[in-house]
Amino acid sequence: MALTQRSIGKSRHRMILLVLTAITLLSLDLSSFGPLGTAQRLVRDLLHPITEVAGAIVSPFSDAWNAVFDYDDLETQNRLLTERIQQLEGNEMAVEAERAEFERLRAAAGVDVRPDLARVTATVVRGGVGNFDDDVITIDRGGQDGVHNGMAVVTGAGLVGRVERVDATTSAVLLLTDTDLIVGVRLADTDEVGLGHVDPNDPSIFVVDTGLEWPEDGNELLLPALDTVVVTAATSRYPAEIPLGRIVEVRPGDEDMLTMHVRVALANDITDLGFVSVLLAEGVDQVPLDEPVPSTSIPLTTATSAGEGS
Amino acid sequence: MNTPVRLGIVFVVALVIQLTVFVDVRVFGVAPELLVLVAVVAAFFVGPERGPVIAFVAGLLWDVYLPTPLGLSAVIFAVVAYVVATLNEGLFHDTRAQLVGVVAVGSAASVIGYALLGAIVGEGGLISADLIVIALVVGVFNAVLAPIAAPIMTWALAAEVDRR
Repeated sequence: MALTQRSIGKSRHRMILLVLTAITLLSLDLSSFGPLGTAQRLVRDLLHPITEVAGAIVSPFSDAWNAVFDYDDLETQNRLLTERIQQLEGNEMAVEAERAEFERLRAAAGVDVRPDLARVTATVVRGGVGNFDDDVITIDRGGQDGVHNGMAVVTGAGLVGRVERVDATTSAVLLLTDTDLIVGVRLADTDEVGLGHVDPNDPSIFVVDTGLEWPEDGNELLLPALDTVVVTAATSRYPAEIPLGRIVEVRPGDEDMLTMHVRVALANDITDLGFVSVLLAEGVDQVPLDEPVPSTSIPLTTATSAGEGS
Repeated sequence: MNTPVRLGIVFVVALVIQLTVFVDVRVFGVAPELLVLVAVVAAFFVGPERGPVIAFVAGLLWDVYLPTPLGLSAVIFAVVAYVVATLNEGLFHDTRAQLVGVVAVGSAASVIGYALLGAIVGEGGLISADLIVIALVVGVFNAVLAPIAAPIMTWALAAEVDRR
């Protein structure tokens, strides 16, 4: 059927109107226009019971699909786990020694997954829903449970991401594997503070590539030791002292050896999460220079505090 | 039941299937995009006057669940629907084979358009080496599902199709 001239004109006008509407929505959403966020949250909350019931109904089908098509992966995982268990059993003494060393380091650095902060434990409901949001998971805790945007999400091993969007009963969590997610960190060994992100080529590695300086005289004794713990910094958006991982490599960031890059093996396997905890404390977006360390940081030792305070 | 109600039901069902079934059921890690499928099929059936509007609403609903800004999918769906409907009106006769072809190309184009426009509004992470693979798999996936979507959309758009 050929289009009449009038019909073409009408459809073009509608199209222009739709594009203008979309541009308006994009602009409002990008500037965090409150009512727009509320409307979206309302739609998600309204549809949540339906998706929850539907999810329960189709889960056997999804499980069957995963069992059939991910069988090779499961087999490989199973073999690797078996090998790992044998290795751990064979080296029980070494493991105990390593654990003791780890605990000692944690105690020395005052590191823990912040037992002082209130938290809610959440189940991971689903991973990314689209084809471009692999770094987002949905958890079954939301605003009703005290969760707010920007809160840190952790496991027993350390930081896994931050709350990105909160609905009444669910929340979306942006994982550390999003390479655009910048985290402020502190090297427990040297107390240096820097910024880092996950390596785009290896999601198990976190790279601290901003804010660290290579020792001026090249004295490698001043470099952070391998295997020491890296935690979130007091100047981070997250509560301070959340473990992130252990240093696996320290190298100059440039040919002039002015900056330092530190590669950190993440403590968590972020690609396979079942349960997480949301720390019910908010970090700070930016620490004013004339302000003291934010209240979410762990108090320093008495001697140091006296020094800081004077 | 009038057309908006029927379309609303189809949109919600497509969204729920997307959020439940296709979170796990993926090929090469890629899921079909049911809302694009619905949008393109609607445009194929009702033409460039109403097709983009239906596609826009479908995109808006999908945007609510995506981490990208609201309106990104909506505008891409509308543009793809407009192009699909205009080309279809001017060049083709409506056949099932054409519908499958149009869905494949339209779906792939919407994925690429979404990533490109996303990069322009600051979502640079959408453009990656996997983009072409994602577009191809979505195109093929949606084309396979098009014969199932066609009678459903015919039911939803019965009054509109009759009018034409």
